[in-house]
Amino acid sequence: MNAILTNPLRVGLRQERVISPQCIVIFGASGDLTHRKLIPALFELFRQRRLPSEFAVLGCARRPWSDEEFRSRMATALGEEVRNHQSAWEQFASCLFYEPVDLEQPEHVVRLGQRLEVIDRLKATRGNRTFYLSVSPAFYGSGCRSLAAAGLLADPSRSRVVIEKPFGRDYGSAQQLNKVVGTCAQESQIFRIDHYLGKETVQNILVLRFANAIFEPIWNRNYIANVQITAAETVGVEERAGYYESSGALRDMVQNHLTQMLALTTMEAPGRFDPEAIRNEKAKVLQAARLADEQEPWNCCVRGQYSSGGSQARPMSGYRQEPGVNTNSTTETYVAMKLFINNWRWQGVPFYLRTGKRLPKRMSEVVLTFREAPVHLFDAAGGSPTANQLILRIQPDEGAGFLFEVKAPGSGMRSRPVDMHFSYDESFGEPSDEGYVRLLADAMLGDPTLFTRSDEVEAAWRLYTPLLELIDDSPWQLPIHPYESGTWGPGASDNLLANDGLMWRRP
Amino acid sequence: MAPQLTLQAPLELPPTEVSPYLTQLWSQGLQGATGAATFTLVVWEPAWLEQHLIRTGRCDGPITGLVNEERLEAARLAVSECGLPFSTAPMAPDLAWALGQLGGEHQAQDLRGQFVSGAISAHMPRRLITLAATLADNHPLETMVAAYCPLPEEGGTGGACGDVVVLKGGMGALHQGLALISPLVGNDLPCWVWWNGSLDEAPEMLSALAPIPRRLMVDSSLGTPRRCLDLLVERIGAGQAVNDLNWLRLRSWRESLAMVFDPPGRRDALNHVVQLDIDVEGNHPVKGLLLAAWIADRLGWHLENSFVIPTGEASGDGFGAEFQRTDGESVRFRLMPVPVGVPKAHPGALVGLRLICAPAERPPLCVILCSESGGCMRLESGGMASMELAEEVVPLPNESEEMEVARLLGGGHDTTNPLLAAAVPLAAKLLAH
Ligand SMILES: NC(=O)c1ccc[n+]([C@@H]2O[C@H](COP(=O)([O-])OP(=O)(O)OC[C@H]3O[C@@H](n4cnc5c(N)ncnc54)[C@H](OP(=O)(O)O)[C@@H]3O)[C@@H](O)[C@H]2O)c1
Repeated sequence: MNAILTNPLRVGLRQERVISPQCIVIFGASGDLTHRKLIPALFELFRQRRLPSEFAVLGCARRPWSDEEFRSRMATALGEEVRNHQSAWEQFASCLFYEPVDLEQPEHVVRLGQRLEVIDRLKATRGNRTFYLSVSPAFYGSGCRSLAAAGLLADPSRSRVVIEKPFGRDYGSAQQLNKVVGTCAQESQIFRIDHYLGKETVQNILVLRFANAIFEPIWNRNYIANVQITAAETVGVEERAGYYESSGALRDMVQNHLTQMLALTTMEAPGRFDPEAIRNEKAKVLQAARLADEQEPWNCCVRGQYSSGGSQARPMSGYRQEPGVNTNSTTETYVAMKLFINNWRWQGVPFYLRTGKRLPKRMSEVVLTFREAPVHLFDAAGGSPTANQLILRIQPDEGAGFLFEVKAPGSGMRSRPVDMHFSYDESFGEPSDEGYVRLLADAMLGDPTLFTRSDEVEAAWRLYTPLLELIDDSPWQLPIHPYESGTWGPGASDNLLANDGLMWRRP
Repeated sequence: MAPQLTLQAPLELPPTEVSPYLTQLWSQGLQGATGAATFTLVVWEPAWLEQHLIRTGRCDGPITGLVNEERLEAARLAVSECGLPFSTAPMAPDLAWALGQLGGEHQAQDLRGQFVSGAISAHMPRRLITLAATLADNHPLETMVAAYCPLPEEGGTGGACGDVVVLKGGMGALHQGLALISPLVGNDLPCWVWWNGSLDEAPEMLSALAPIPRRLMVDSSLGTPRRCLDLLVERIGAGQAVNDLNWLRLRSWRESLAMVFDPPGRRDALNHVVQLDIDVEGNHPVKGLLLAAWIADRLGWHLENSFVIPTGEASGDGFGAEFQRTDGESVRFRLMPVPVGVPKAHPGALVGLRLICAPAERPPLCVILCSESGGCMRLESGGMASMELAEEVVPLPNESEEMEVARLLGGGHDTTNPLLAAAVPLAAKLLAH
């Protein structure tokens, strides 16, 4: 069969919202994120013709590069991408500029303002600007201050600031940072990135819930017995030990990505599809979320750290043996916990969250397990009937599955579970954009729906405060359980569910 | 968004004083405001239909240049009074011409160029130049200027403002006024030219207003099909950034068709198309031909021949063609005009599309797309019992002309959309003589 890989009729139809003429200013232009994610995402947008011709990228960092040097370094970093689209790259590269800026030197930022005016004239970018802070979190506050002091954030309709993760390292520092940022710009100008929200399948949670009438009536404590949210990685800490040692799984994954999935899964229906309406509901549900045992958090949370593992052919070193990691490190690479949401919809339904590195499989999913049928009329092939489960697969093999009982063929009335399966690939077959493509486009469009608002960030940090305090003040109460690399985390995490008569879903 | 009137009452100036006045206005810092560094928009705004509807007493003034439901309704009623076929679209230049033959001397205030659609003003044009042709050919040149600042609720902050220049007069007077345009446009900012009228009229005016690199916006549903397509071919070939509102209105059809083939299991059928039929309203095939050309281009078909299919009816002739697929098999294409009771605003709106695919070892697939507003009985009839049927209803676009234009202005592109650039030459060949 002569298969057509992409849908030839789809080309050029993807997104209709147009990005206005503007200049995107990237602080940290010489850093890792810029050449790994941001410039590739902007180049992708360019190739999809979603960028206007009145467009410029101004890279900024301390090192004294020239425009030419910035362009050629980006070309080298993008490698294959550039070689495959040489002429597009040449056009795109002519929109790339560089200005040496030390964010801590106010006069540098003033000079930046002057450079931007030159670019506005050169490229007719209309004074529209998106500032992207891809620098160390230590500069988020001071960076905003310098931008504000130079008058670059004065016009809320034409300037925006994108702030990378992590936003704060606990409730107090997040509050403090929000305060600083709030004095520099209006909330509508601030775009806090959580790249999980850029994933098509995470956004699909909203569509699945609120575009279908059949789910909402059963999406509550009367029908749902428990919810599991998993984000599993197979990789270890890789080259990020420096950052990870001071962060750990709770800060790196749970507070942001897992919490966002939790919020989208549990929020009330917004009145309309409007950024503020959606973010109001997300903030509200996070404010209602609590650790299952706030007084004695060790009862509802398990921390782990990977030790060596793998096979003789492919041995995997333990976390403490990784380069850059303290040999006595107590940083968790795995965390599992139980939460409740104290509102009418979710009272009493346990939510189990887990994430870890060096697990057997890379996958993220949300699993809603429904209550069992009240009376068991039939024999089940597996002993007792399996509860219905709705599985939202975030990655890989993006899609959804629904597990329900059917009659097993043969005489008699035995039931067995089957899986009804929806796959993005089978239905749409188009690879979806990398999260940064969507998020950069949205930020430049000024659409904050997929960005985290100040109250959301604070509510997320507040939720985990008892755990963070415990880890800082008396870590022995929340001990680190070692687990072998390539397994599903420490046994203690299984016990967390076993105590409730449950098991983690083995994907 | 409601249209917005300029804040300042426009000032009438002798033509020679317009440029010096504006230079002086901005150099003296208009109440601390700066000129928005955005773009210049030049609009050819004859509004013949509206002028004649008002002159013949079918509508009240003022003349604004904006098309609204009330104007369209009056135009629909006028179609039968003028003895035109029912399928005549209210925006069809034929109707304005026929109205022009009727008597009537009603006068109205002429506010063309002073009404700025909210969607457009939200992009803060630096300068909006309107050429307002009057019905009276001997009307002398009048020039007016006004500064404006977008209202805060439209994203304006009062900081960056623009100005509005209106040139009004008979054709002769406007030709004489052309000399004013270049200095007003300048070279610093991108310039868009919106030809908001029939492509048949005033070709020298169009040439003078829209040289490269100005970006051109036209509507290929307005004007004789041959002239519309030839102009697109010529301008795109010359490297101008051309935007066609008629093409943009095809978006929902393209989206609906693409949707049918999103599931990878359906994709293979696209390799086996044997027949493509398109039905259009009335006597204007351009939109349908653009759609066919887009499909042919995306699927890599080669045009073998094209021909006219005479119908002998007032609704006009059909067009046929044979294509060759990449595997050498042939595809039959037919575009037929169908009469409709209530035509959409623009000539040649699509009624339906049928695509028949015959993969080797599978049942044939028949895709039918039907306009939301009409039936497509002709395409649904006959011989499809053994086929897998995929039928979709295509939603009507619900955006005004100004919103489409605003979208173009907002997402400035200085090149022609490559899909349009590929479809236009092919559509021109499909329009057989
Ligand atoms: N990399 C990732 O995958 C990833 C993922 C999620 C979030 N993030 C977040 O994204 C941000 C950037 O990450 P990264 O990995 O790209 O960091 P990185 O490689 O360390 O880059 C930091 C950048 O900041 C610049 N810089 C340092 N001090 C500066 C100053 N005073 N003024 C202006 N620029 C300064 C550096 O360039 P000079 O030395 O030339 O000044 C460099 O370009 C961080 O906040 C990180 O948490 C990164």
